[in-house]
Amino acid sequence: MSQNLQEEIQNEITATKIVVYGKGTKDAPRCGFTMETIEFFNKFGYPFEVIDVLENMEKREALSSMTNWPTLPKVFIGGKFYGDTDILGPMEESGELKDVLAGAFGSEPKATINLR
Amino acid sequence: MIDDASVIELIHAHMPDARVEVADWSSFGTRDHLNVTVVSSAFSGKTRLDQHRMVYAALGEALKDGRIHAVQIKTSELE
Repeated sequence: MSQNLQEEIQNEITATKIVVYGKGTKDAPRCGFTMETIEFFNKFGYPFEVIDVLENMEKREALSSMTNWPTLPKVFIGGKFYGDTDILGPMEESGELKDVLAGAFGSEPKATINLR
Repeated sequence: MIDDASVIELIHAHMPDARVEVADWSSFGTRDHLNVTVVSSAFSGKTRLDQHRMVYAALGEALKDGRIHAVQIKTSELE
């Protein structure tokens, strides 16, 4: 895995508290799972970023080897890897996710108005 | 396209005692978008992330060659 790719990913997952690597963008998701993950995080009111890696095979391979996780989307919270909604769903049910999010943001979510 | 028996066989190669349920949710009957539920003693003491990694490792071949396009995984330890 090339050095600058690893740095690029490292910068991205530390610059934004919730990062979703997926197929397509937040406004134009191009895979059902990416869309589901966007809808999942829309519920919480915390800001999050979707990074489209659909066409970037080299970055996808770097992400897969870095996380030992073969599929997209890949979710990072506070720079730590959390898989996808198959992992986040049960964490939400157990209440664990609320603590992780509050920990990452250091506060409850500010009310954000979804203009869509 | 992959049938249930092949999915179960792939998982049993890694987790012989696993109880496996497979459901197809592909919209056009392509049988390549699957829900896979796995119950196995091999999961005990493992994080959910690692449990799912074990299932991905078992299904790795079918994911690589496209027989499986997308899989939703549920895991639990043996009751």
